[in-house]
Amino acid sequence: MSKMKNLALVLLMIVGFACQENKNYQDVITDGEYLIAAQLKLTDVIIHDIFSPPVASRIYAYPSIAAFEVAALADPSYTSLMGQLNGFDKVNFETEEEIYYPLAALAAYYKVGTAMIFSEDMVQEHKEKAFKAIRTAGVPKKVFERSVALGEQVADHVIAYSKKDNYHESRSFEKYTVTNEAHTWQPTPPAYMEGIEPHWNKIRPFLMESADQFQSPPPTAFSTEPDSQFFKEAEEVFHAVNNLTPEQKDIAYFWDCNPYKVNVKGHVMFAEKKITPGGHWMGIASIASKSAGQDWKGTAETLAYTGIALFDAFIACWDEKYRSALIRPETYINKYIDEDWLPTLQTPPFPEHTSGHSVASNAAAEALTKLFGEPFYIYDSTEVAYGLPVREFNSFREAAAEATISRLYGGIHFMPAIEFGAEKGKKLGFYVNEKVKTKSDNLARIED
Amino acid sequence: MRSVYSLVLFFLWVSCSTPKQETLFTLLSPKETGIDFSNDLVSSEEMNILEYLYFYNGGGVALGDINNDGWVDIYFTSNQGENKLYLNKGNFQFEDITQSAGVDGGGGWSTGVTMADVNGDGLLDIYVCQVGDYKGLQGKNKLYINNGDLTFTEMAEAYGIDFEGFSTHALFFDYDNDGDLDLYLLNHSIKKPEVFSHADTKFSGQDEKGGDKLFKSQLAQGDQKMIEVTQEAGILSSSLGFGLGVGIADVNGDGWMDIYVSNDFTEDDYLYINQGDGTFRESLQEYIENTSRYSMGNDLADINNDGLPDIFTTDMLPEDPQIWMKSVGEDKQEVFDVKKRLGYGDQYVRNHLQLNRGDGKFSEIGLLTETYATDWSWSPLIFDMDNDGYKDIHVTNGIVKRPNDLDFIQYSQTPVSGLSEIEIQQRQIDMLPSMKLANFTFRNKGELVFEQVGEVWGLDQLSYSNGSAYADLDNDGDLDLVVNNTDQQAFIYRNNSEKLGHQFIQFELAGDKANHFGIGAQVWVKSGDKTLHQTLSTSRGFQSGTSTVLTFGLGKAEEVEQVYVDWGAGQIESFGTKQVNTKHRLVKGKGKADALPKIESKTVLELVTLELGWKHEENTDFDEFRREYLMPRRYAMEGPALAVGDVNGDGLDDIYLGGAKGQAGAIFLQQSEGDFILQKNPVFEQLKTAEDVVAEFIDLNGDGHLDLYVGSAGNEYAAGEVFNFDRVFLNDGKGNFRFSMNSLPPIGENTSSVAFQDVNGDGYVDIFVGAAVVTGNYGAIPRAYLLVNDGQGRFKDMTKTYFGDDFRPGMVQKALWYDVTGDGKSELVLAGEWMPIRVYQQQQDGVFSEMEPLAPAGWYYGLSALQTNTGLNGLLLGNLGLNSKLKASKPQPVKLYHGDFDGNGQDDPLVFHYMEGHLVPFATRDDLIRQIPNLKRRHESYVQYAALKSPQDLLEKEQINQARVFEVAEFQSLFIPKGEQEITPLPLKAQFSPIRDFVSFSSKGEDYVLGVGNFSGFRTDYGRKMAQPLVLMKWTPSGFEQLPLGLEARQYWGEYRYVRKLEIKGEAHLIAVRNNDFPVVFRLNP
Repeated sequence: MSKMKNLALVLLMIVGFACQENKNYQDVITDGEYLIAAQLKLTDVIIHDIFSPPVASRIYAYPSIAAFEVAALADPSYTSLMGQLNGFDKVNFETEEEIYYPLAALAAYYKVGTAMIFSEDMVQEHKEKAFKAIRTAGVPKKVFERSVALGEQVADHVIAYSKKDNYHESRSFEKYTVTNEAHTWQPTPPAYMEGIEPHWNKIRPFLMESADQFQSPPPTAFSTEPDSQFFKEAEEVFHAVNNLTPEQKDIAYFWDCNPYKVNVKGHVMFAEKKITPGGHWMGIASIASKSAGQDWKGTAETLAYTGIALFDAFIACWDEKYRSALIRPETYINKYIDEDWLPTLQTPPFPEHTSGHSVASNAAAEALTKLFGEPFYIYDSTEVAYGLPVREFNSFREAAAEATISRLYGGIHFMPAIEFGAEKGKKLGFYVNEKVKTKSDNLARIED
Repeated sequence: MRSVYSLVLFFLWVSCSTPKQETLFTLLSPKETGIDFSNDLVSSEEMNILEYLYFYNGGGVALGDINNDGWVDIYFTSNQGENKLYLNKGNFQFEDITQSAGVDGGGGWSTGVTMADVNGDGLLDIYVCQVGDYKGLQGKNKLYINNGDLTFTEMAEAYGIDFEGFSTHALFFDYDNDGDLDLYLLNHSIKKPEVFSHADTKFSGQDEKGGDKLFKSQLAQGDQKMIEVTQEAGILSSSLGFGLGVGIADVNGDGWMDIYVSNDFTEDDYLYINQGDGTFRESLQEYIENTSRYSMGNDLADINNDGLPDIFTTDMLPEDPQIWMKSVGEDKQEVFDVKKRLGYGDQYVRNHLQLNRGDGKFSEIGLLTETYATDWSWSPLIFDMDNDGYKDIHVTNGIVKRPNDLDFIQYSQTPVSGLSEIEIQQRQIDMLPSMKLANFTFRNKGELVFEQVGEVWGLDQLSYSNGSAYADLDNDGDLDLVVNNTDQQAFIYRNNSEKLGHQFIQFELAGDKANHFGIGAQVWVKSGDKTLHQTLSTSRGFQSGTSTVLTFGLGKAEEVEQVYVDWGAGQIESFGTKQVNTKHRLVKGKGKADALPKIESKTVLELVTLELGWKHEENTDFDEFRREYLMPRRYAMEGPALAVGDVNGDGLDDIYLGGAKGQAGAIFLQQSEGDFILQKNPVFEQLKTAEDVVAEFIDLNGDGHLDLYVGSAGNEYAAGEVFNFDRVFLNDGKGNFRFSMNSLPPIGENTSSVAFQDVNGDGYVDIFVGAAVVTGNYGAIPRAYLLVNDGQGRFKDMTKTYFGDDFRPGMVQKALWYDVTGDGKSELVLAGEWMPIRVYQQQQDGVFSEMEPLAPAGWYYGLSALQTNTGLNGLLLGNLGLNSKLKASKPQPVKLYHGDFDGNGQDDPLVFHYMEGHLVPFATRDDLIRQIPNLKRRHESYVQYAALKSPQDLLEKEQINQARVFEVAEFQSLFIPKGEQEITPLPLKAQFSPIRDFVSFSSKGEDYVLGVGNFSGFRTDYGRKMAQPLVLMKWTPSGFEQLPLGLEARQYWGEYRYVRKLEIKGEAHLIAVRNNDFPVVFRLNP
């Protein structure tokens, strides 16, 4: 053991000597690769630690805001979000001396990210590797330290901000009580998990004035009568799933984005984990940023902007979910149409109305369309790591539309939840675009 | 590091070199026995645990003398290989005659095996169960008819029982008592067990290949075949049933064989009561409160020598704390609730020992007897392993791939791209952890005390063991043991009990008609003060069967005074004195027609019906666990309240019954004829939102009439809210009660107890008010109050004057003024949870100061003074009892760490208990994380969580420092005789359930105590405690002795809160009140 330590020390010393200071270190980081890699790591940890979609949206948002705040310090053409987001106080950061801003942004991102998750070591390890590479590339020690310090100061401010969003308190809020009323949501097979985040509408939004600002129309009146509208909507799901084309099946699985699918075979049970809907869209954001050739500041902006839209989208969506607390198609169909029917996808553990993916996808698509315009070719490889293929889209809205309808193919939503969800997401996206300014002038938007 | 290794090596060498001590059982090698059978399994792409859920259930073993030479032979089943029949040649020499006998199973996937004389020719036939027509598995159940020359002919089809599907086991018995052996065929479904259907679908659904079947033999009707009678006989055959165990016994004492079926997964077990008319009635929930969740095998036999068959079912709870803490535990509270809503009974992931009370109910005492955790278990066998006259329990366990490992479930499946379906599946199987463990052996020490002796008795070899069976293989009078292992040679254990000097007696039964071996007969052996009971069945444990010879251990007893046999349907014969250490043949018709001696049970209590028409209706919608996820129990079901007294001055006792939230209290006035009439009072209706949990009639304003004090609680409203206020009702002397709004200061705690005493000597009673819990904050200590009477029935909070600032004595359950010191002045005695029995003595200046506690801290619910005509004096303390997963003692207390460990504004109540010397969290990692998500940071995996050794490993130092720590060192209900230092626990048989209240009375000059209890509101992982609603005890020179009540249990079953004396028409009665049920009234037999 001690031998190992000695070896490590020696290695460290070698590395230390190898750090030749480089006057032209400025181009060590130009694009958003490091930030994107950090976000990818965060995604890994979100999956490992099993965070639910709303919580995941929170984990993505704050670190990217921190990184963007550094970009705004670095470049006056960007506008700080301080003072723009609800409760995000303006403070001044000391930037007199030489600072390597892209490093500071990365430091800010890692620090806030670490504060959001459980498996801190996983993030730390990743950070140290990145920092070592940057340091080795010749960023002067003093500058390096100063930059990290600045990044961490910004991070501390963002962490303090995040602590007041009621998330922490909401961990001990009352758990959801299932009722016997026929129309209400019931836990679904195979894990029969309790309804997650029943109080997510009490989380402080970034931009919305209240969680119900974009309240959706209620679901169709519940009925078990075969000639009722509700029954027909259930049949629509039933038939859609029973008659899926291969393409539709692919679409359903591609947009599954279920962070915690429980597989059960007799006594054998295991969780299969994937990215969340928010994670998928943060992935699309980084793909777009890369293919648009953004520099690190642009990437920071893209991630922060998308993160903000997604964060508010989940609050708006969850507000409706527990207001209407509607039964899932699986429960309804098993009870009134076919006892043995199974949806294509595993029903996630929260009420039906409205579809979370529909709200989140459309909000994110509007935000990204504002940043990158339309058409915009997307080679969406986000899901490859999870054993799914690539899909291609010609615009963010096209991707969002597919994500939206995928929930019908998946058999986990009725059409109104999909339509109203999409509508809500779009409205929210417009609102975000109107409300937030990330650039100090209007030059930044490049129309092609 | 190296030196540690060498030390270990040294010890190993030392222990190896010491001569091996002779153990009770000796494992014989294949060389010695000639038995090298091993159930070897090969997992393949086509057939594995993911393709077939019971891939690792293993094989069975049946024991029986196939050639009637007096030596018991052995048949093993194999899943993928050949079944084997070994002929016993004496002296533990066996010969494999499978091929010549023609009984190799025909290449099918064999499961259970049973020996029985199916065709009634006096030779044991062999029935083999198989899995067939499933993913390449071919095979039908086989009936090997014994030709009498060591060869067999397969005739399942001819008999109509060549079933093709998912058979687990078969049981042959004469259910309709027509003299031939019928067949209960235990099958298992393969329908997705994880999707819960409504429990009622068991009544309508029919699963052709997976549902259980009943076949009626036509032998007695002159036809050599069987016909299926499943539905008309009332046997459930739906796809809900995952049958893994079947056993018979006469559970209700009517002479007819009843059936117990253990079901895996969500479906409840079945208890079929034989109606005696060719039909059965599934009656589990009438007899049994809770069962194993993943019920595996079972056995039915008399564990406590009371002549009644008890039931043991196995499950998969690990015994090793480190495995326990990283394995799947109870259903999460919300999943448990989902199942309840779907109509399923209470099931817990552990073995269950159902003690037959003989009164129509079972008391489940797996936790009390500590037989509840034997890991992934299959075959339980209840038999007297050391011939000492007490039946012991042997449990096989082990699974090659452990699916209940939580790290596997939660963390094993990292996404990998580019793998095929088959590769993914293979990867999943490979990742399933494997671990061989030893089987479990519990020695019965009598009086429901068991001791683990696997190692001492030489039965602790590591294995994956499935089926098992016992029989006297060497005819030396003790029972040898055979175990079928997966991927390992079968265990043949020789029993060396003959060297203990214990006596035995053996019986071969000879039935009449076609039931030559007397299967289903019951035998009682009276020897000394013991009555030993066995039922002859050739299907027991898991997929296995025992021989047709019954062996009774007699301990040191030198003689057997009487033997009774019930040949079925109550045809009882006695056979007189029998010589010990001999095998006897008992022939039906050769005994003397007789009846079992009736046990003289003098009942001191008699149930009477009081037509009150009042039922306590609990508001069960309110779910405290939604708000406080980790609290051990509910507080919203503490009612009803009960008060007894003469409120209208007619000399007759009247009653107040206090309702739950939303239910008005009610006064019932006794009439001269002994009936009771409701005294209507609108004020009770107006105040019905308050939940009544305690009530007392007492003159509060000194006008000579009994007023009414009602305490409110419910743990729903915050302290100080109006519906938490206690209420005083003043009596006009005619039983008309007026709400006296200003009598009490606005306090509004969750009142649990009131105690009245004139503390300032002004001639008016003052009130001590204790509270159980702070609403929404289990573990916080509520305030208690002393309210002083102004003489007009108005009370002033003077707690500070008498008890000092902020008086918080604990989570009080009961309060009592009692002269502890014997100085003629009463002290205040308090009992409660996480607190010792506190005593407060009034000083010269009037102020109270605390004395030494009377008893160590417990979860006390009951506190009553005992004072009898015969001078018996003392305090009775009702505690949690011993039928609990939590075990506490002074050196190893249960602890509560209470504090806001994650700084989110809500206190977290963390319970720790000792397991193998370490103080570890009681809650699962999942549950803890639900309460305190940040804990995930400290232990990333379940393995790490399971390695916790102390609270310091779980919480940060600063968190520990800010915690309030409470502990419990005693869970037994106790008696403290007055003036004596010594505390005596109530008898073990009084510790089955929590006791909430006591009443004492005398009958024929003897002193009795009736304790009332049960509590269903515990969190799922603690488990509901419903094993003993009433416990009757008599005072004897050696202390209290528990007595049977002698009453039909279903007439009074439930969960009790209070019991009071009540005089009706001048006769002494008791009234006891149950939560969410009718009150129960007993007449005291003088």
